[in-house]
Amino acid sequence: MVGSPVLLIAIPLLAAFMIPLLGMIWKELVRIIPGLVLAFMMISSASMLMYVTNNGTIIQTLAGWEAPWGINLVFSPLTAFLATLMTFMGFIVWLYSYRFKRNVDFEPAKKYFIFLMMLVAGAVGIVITGDIFNQFVFIEITGISAYALTAFYTGRNSAEASFKYLLMGALSSSALLIAIAIIYSQLGTLNMADIASKIHLMPAGYKVTALIFFMMGIGIEAEIFPLNGWAPDAYTEAPGPIGAAFAGIVVKAGVYAMVRMVFTLFDVSGAMDILLTIGLITLIVAETAAIRQEKLKRMLAYSSIGQMGLVFVAFGIGTLEGVYAALFLMLNHAIIKPLLFLSGSQLVFNSKEKLIKEVNGLGKYMPFTAVLFALGSFAIVGLPPFAGFWSKLSVLTAAANEGMLLIIALILIVSVIEIVYYFRVVNRIYFFDKAEDLIPQKPRVNAVIAMSVLGAIILIIGFNPDVVSTVLHNASADLMDTPQYIKNVLSAGQSLTN
Amino acid sequence: MENQMFEILRYGIYGGSISLILIGLYAALTKRSLIKIVIGLSIVDGGIHLLLIAIGYVKNGTAPIFSPGFENAVDRMVDPVPQALVLTAIVIGFAVTAVALSLVIRLYRHHHTLEIDEIKNLKW
Repeated sequence: MVGSPVLLIAIPLLAAFMIPLLGMIWKELVRIIPGLVLAFMMISSASMLMYVTNNGTIIQTLAGWEAPWGINLVFSPLTAFLATLMTFMGFIVWLYSYRFKRNVDFEPAKKYFIFLMMLVAGAVGIVITGDIFNQFVFIEITGISAYALTAFYTGRNSAEASFKYLLMGALSSSALLIAIAIIYSQLGTLNMADIASKIHLMPAGYKVTALIFFMMGIGIEAEIFPLNGWAPDAYTEAPGPIGAAFAGIVVKAGVYAMVRMVFTLFDVSGAMDILLTIGLITLIVAETAAIRQEKLKRMLAYSSIGQMGLVFVAFGIGTLEGVYAALFLMLNHAIIKPLLFLSGSQLVFNSKEKLIKEVNGLGKYMPFTAVLFALGSFAIVGLPPFAGFWSKLSVLTAAANEGMLLIIALILIVSVIEIVYYFRVVNRIYFFDKAEDLIPQKPRVNAVIAMSVLGAIILIIGFNPDVVSTVLHNASADLMDTPQYIKNVLSAGQSLTN
Repeated sequence: MENQMFEILRYGIYGGSISLILIGLYAALTKRSLIKIVIGLSIVDGGIHLLLIAIGYVKNGTAPIFSPGFENAVDRMVDPVPQALVLTAIVIGFAVTAVALSLVIRLYRHHHTLEIDEIKNLKW
């Protein structure tokens, strides 16, 4: 085991604020240090994932205050899996954006990497914390760095997209704070495990109100239907790798917060049906919107929202199989969608409007990027030898075992829509003629490595889905077992204190 | 009698904080000027902070510190947790407002207006 859970938050935050100073010593440190930090986080998180798989949950108490009073970090199979996934994606995004543009020099790069590290630290914090107010703070850290990164390019309409995101984010974080106030006024505790063990004492009216405010507060990061108005604009206007970071890191943290709340914190009986309904609405609205888009990144953004809808449908099935399918979908989406964003932003790199029709015929001129984009498209719609197939299959099996035939029908219909709009793009890449004035962009070596790692993972999971099944099984069992979670946290006083 | 007065006061504060939240929401959602929207967000934050503080208050409350003369004042000590939460939330609200205002400056430089209706490069 390398490192400890608290280092996953402390080191990136420390490094983020040290970067301006280090940049004074040697400018290249601004680009190198984030890579080292993210690599450390990835290795540390993966090694702790292995430790957790063999030895059970790590609970870390901070500042010596034990569970119900102080803040604790919970590194269970589920949170370890998500933290590893996020830090890995953070590293990939760093690798891709190491010198991502010639005209991005020292000053913007400094800000970019500061906010990238804060984004990863905040998202990892959301996942591993065991305290709802602490989670609120991490949601805000993630949110503020996400607003800043959305507004990164001064030339585009990015400030507008960012302001829109900020407006929704600020209102929903107010809702989150109200939910925390309601819970604290009723139960007098902020610790998640303590809340879960006392939630039956809370009157039903307060419970439902708190749940609704919570969903409003977290739904914005999880891109559920009425709260996802920011997503298409933010994904379009933000730099390409940041779109990948949103899809691979921020959204996953939001989904985790949402399901932890529904599965562990609240015992409201209809909550699963709410998740299922929200998921279906999100899925259908987003996929029908995606097919009408003319900009490539906007289409990918709507597709990302739709995939999150599918994840919530899978969670809403409510069985162990459903949770397994949902986590599998999250894993695949976290790898495939960033690949699409990274390769897609290479494809439209030199075009003005970033329209889908501007990728015409690039297959001959940018063979490697085009192949990876096609691979990502095939994987995300769920063609058999690729990763997406197995997750979609497991969602359908889980729904079939519960006899939810209508849902299966809807998922299959929506998959057809998905196939239409992704294949439309792939078709344009390979079978149309290139516009005369468009210059193909040659990807840099680091970008090629980043994208091919993601492509390789898609193929590995696709041909051998068993490599991830143990981790996913442990994680889904962990999410379903609330009594064990409470016991782990509240009796952890002795174990790992520092 | 005194207790009743305290309860009335307490519900008055709850009502006041909820109306602050609603006023802020109204401002943030209906005003067309970017600056007024940011002010609305700050008012919402203020209302929530007041609500949190009101939750933790007790009658004739003192600071939750065992100081000379207050050894037996456990019943009267106000809950320190909501105050810690509010301190944190104020800092976060400050950061969000700062980011929002810097975005407003950027939008103003780009469009030379603060009216949200005239900034329509993206769909709202």
